[in-house]
Amino acid sequence: MRNLVRELRSGRGLSQGQLADALGVSRQTINAIETERYTPSLPLALELARYFKTSVEEIFDVDGDKARA
Amino acid sequence: MSMETKRVPRPHVKWVLPSLSLAAGVAYFIAATLGGKLQLGLEMFGIMVVFGAALLLFGGRSETIRGLRGDERDERFAMIDLRATAYTALVLILVIVGAFIYELARGRSGAPYFWLGALAGVTYLVSVAVLRLRS
Repeated sequence: MRNLVRELRSGRGLSQGQLADALGVSRQTINAIETERYTPSLPLALELARYFKTSVEEIFDVDGDKARA
Repeated sequence: MSMETKRVPRPHVKWVLPSLSLAAGVAYFIAATLGGKLQLGLEMFGIMVVFGAALLLFGGRSETIRGLRGDERDERFAMIDLRATAYTALVLILVIVGAFIYELARGRSGAPYFWLGALAGVTYLVSVAVLRLRS
């Protein structure tokens, strides 16, 4: 699923490992989300949104045309 | 379905699978020795010891090995584990059904593949029924 995780993470100067540690997942999981190979669960999506102080809808785009427009 | 969302460090968990490997190796060795196959028992024991040691030694570098061990497993790896288990079961069931058909074609009863296939089928049906009630 298209998302803005990489942009949000980079914008805050965080490495994948740092974000992974903050969310309690592996670095590989963050990488898989950013490269759209893995769609996170609802709890993890909510945690991501909470961490970046935004909404799930702003980070993830089910239709795939909003996030990278 | 119970799925771990977060990676929770559980240092003691990394010893479980290597310990089970060692225990299995010992069981194989004892069974093979009782069956008069000392050489085979030693080889199987060695394989299980090497497998268990590899799990411990290379877990620091490999997410796959850490995931197999179960320590620091998060929701993504839990999904990977679930899918891998399903693929494994699918292959096993296909082999069992194939072997059953082959045995029937050779004029045999199909045992033990008939019972293994029946066990797989019943387990699947019961699992679907129970999981449907719980989901």
